[in-house]
Amino acid sequence: MVAKLDSYYSDFVRTFGNVLFAVSLFAVWGVLTVIGVIVDQGKDPSVYFGSYPAPIARAILRLNFDNIYHSPWYVGIIGLILLSLTVCTFKRVIPARLPPLRPVKIDKIPLHASIDVPGDERSVRERVENFFRSRGWQLRKREFDGTEWTFADKHNWARRGVLVAHIGFVIIAAGTTLYWARGFSGDTVVVTGGSVEIPQTKAIIHLDSFAYTITPVLTKGGMVYQPTDYVSHVTVTGNNGIPTPMIVRVNHPIDVDKTLYYQASYGFATRFRVTHDGKEVPSLSQRVLLEGDALNIPGTRLAVNYDRFVPTVDRESGMPSADPRVNDPAVVITVSDGGVQTGTALVPLHSWVDLGGGWRIVPSTYLLYSGIQYRYDPGIPLVGIGALVLVAGLLISFYFLPARLYARVDPAPGGRWTVGVAATTVKGYDMFESQFRGLISEFSAEAP
Amino acid sequence: MKGHLQVDELLMIIAIACYVLGALALLVYFFSREEWLRNLGAPLAIAGCIAQFAQLGVRWELTGIWPLLNLYGSLSLFAAMSVAIFIGFAWRYKAWYAGGFVLALAAIALAYGVTWNEGTMPAVPSLQSYWAKIHVPIVVSSYAAFLVAFVFSVIYLIKYYAEDHFEGKGVLAAIGARQAHLSGGYAGASMAIADAGSPAPPPYTIRHDTPAIDAAAAAGNATAVWLKSLPSLAQLDVIVYRAVAIGLPLISIGIITGAAWAKEAWGAYWQWDPKETAALATWIVYLAFMHLHTRNNWRGLRTNWVSVAGFMLVIFTYLGVNIWISGLHSYKV
Repeated sequence: MVAKLDSYYSDFVRTFGNVLFAVSLFAVWGVLTVIGVIVDQGKDPSVYFGSYPAPIARAILRLNFDNIYHSPWYVGIIGLILLSLTVCTFKRVIPARLPPLRPVKIDKIPLHASIDVPGDERSVRERVENFFRSRGWQLRKREFDGTEWTFADKHNWARRGVLVAHIGFVIIAAGTTLYWARGFSGDTVVVTGGSVEIPQTKAIIHLDSFAYTITPVLTKGGMVYQPTDYVSHVTVTGNNGIPTPMIVRVNHPIDVDKTLYYQASYGFATRFRVTHDGKEVPSLSQRVLLEGDALNIPGTRLAVNYDRFVPTVDRESGMPSADPRVNDPAVVITVSDGGVQTGTALVPLHSWVDLGGGWRIVPSTYLLYSGIQYRYDPGIPLVGIGALVLVAGLLISFYFLPARLYARVDPAPGGRWTVGVAATTVKGYDMFESQFRGLISEFSAEAP
Repeated sequence: MKGHLQVDELLMIIAIACYVLGALALLVYFFSREEWLRNLGAPLAIAGCIAQFAQLGVRWELTGIWPLLNLYGSLSLFAAMSVAIFIGFAWRYKAWYAGGFVLALAAIALAYGVTWNEGTMPAVPSLQSYWAKIHVPIVVSSYAAFLVAFVFSVIYLIKYYAEDHFEGKGVLAAIGARQAHLSGGYAGASMAIADAGSPAPPPYTIRHDTPAIDAAAAAGNATAVWLKSLPSLAQLDVIVYRAVAIGLPLISIGIITGAAWAKEAWGAYWQWDPKETAALATWIVYLAFMHLHTRNNWRGLRTNWVSVAGFMLVIFTYLGVNIWISGLHSYKV
């Protein structure tokens, strides 16, 4: 039983510690990621049937490619990569990066050289040691079977670079896990002059005003209305109970009791004046509708959906213009009867629409509203530290080349001594070849 | 303002002219190895690069708007950084022979970027951040490093398959045999180390010589003589590795700074925006390159193909996603 478990464990370690297996996982991850780029995510099934032939659309939906980043395939492949990362780190990276000091067959290593040096053994050894030490190599001596070996290391500490990079990943993963475990996020909409309470924090946000700035720019392709500022002036009441005026802008979130509030979107809320047989219906007329909201007409099966606000209607064509500034505003409404759409209309502000049965509706005033996102993320410091550790690991791995020289001194004919030197690095031999040649040339030149 | 923009456009024209002429000179140098062509092409590359950085600086100074917020400015920096990184490699490895390809690609990028020049546009609110001055140049520079790696990978592959040609092998048949041959070449070294009781160091698989090309060159074959003038496959592979070693940390930092910016602007590090996702896929490919480069059987031919594939993905990430797919990084109006 134990032997069988050992065998399973060995198979598991061999498979997950295999670099090609890891690269295959990376490749599958890459392919799934690219599919997520090409296929629109999170759309209604009808969108896929409209965009692709039916068999492909069905495949997209059945394989969860419409929400690929949350699909079992995607999460599973990331899990396998993390597992492979862990096994590789402990079974492959650490042992290979930190090799013990052992003798080698010098002339079988591609980077090797033999230099004949005169003198007695002790002075030759001293010369070898002084040469490498003066060039910043860290020396260690060991004796194996009566032969003294000199091991010289450079950037030995950098052997841990890959390990540092992998630890960076783990710290980032810990930071994001902390958010999933203890953080929260959400979004809300506040109409000018209105307030909302954030459910998780009980903070109250009152929108004093919202403003946006549009800059018309005449380009080679025509007039472009470039938005250049979105700003919410809010009064926030946090845990301390003191209302505090604050400003929320894109890229400038505010921090209230460690929860960050972001400027996310904006829109136009509208009040519709509703009359029945010429008399205003206050319960309906006082409501403020956000884009997408609907107004049900009491005692009928009629519903009026406020689709969107049109800031400027082109006076010549009578159609919505591209200018997002409010000049000649209108609203687009859709009327339905018993759930069946009966028509869509572009209605200028203060104009009326007759719904039948004595009902009339008039878009009377508009108010700007601000979309605010909020997020409490206790993992931010960990993610930041993890990112720094990851980058440090990458820089160490790529820009410091750990190399080891193996040197031994053997007697040669004529009372001379042969200094044999071989070199290995963690990145193969080519990376170090020119330096090795230079080193040997210098040593040969210094040798009398 | 109009006069100033003319300076900007003038510098751009100078840069394109330098790149086109430099590309021609260095392309001919690539084949002829006439020293005077290198002496002509190299200063043109440097001059074009300086003109481009000056153009970006002038545009920023005069408009007050960070010039990398549209595809025009971004491609301009991409071209400039590609040439700048290449100049560094050319200086270090005497690799001006590859300059014609780099300059030609830079000129194409620049000319294409000019078609996206809509004039001076103020930045949309999400781009009004100090992160734009950190994230964008880093990511664009990583793409530039990958372009340099791509060019040297192509040269590597040309020489590799030319060796097969001179060995009289078909290209496809040669791949397996060559890989086996290369792996076996240093099997003795690995065995020797293992025999001596020490852990095996990374095996040495990149061949230092191209015997069939050398033999053909000795016999007077003009193509072989030219191929022999290219650096060894080992050196080309080292250059590709070094270029990717510049690009990979940069794109890693670029993705991290992009995530930090997204966190500040939208509250989430990652939104699976097509650009973010494609950049992640690119990062995965180059990460795979680095991992494969540690492998005996993959270092050399296969990793250079990965470098080529990686650059194709860079093009998709950089231009395809921004132009064809709607998202947070879209240039579509």
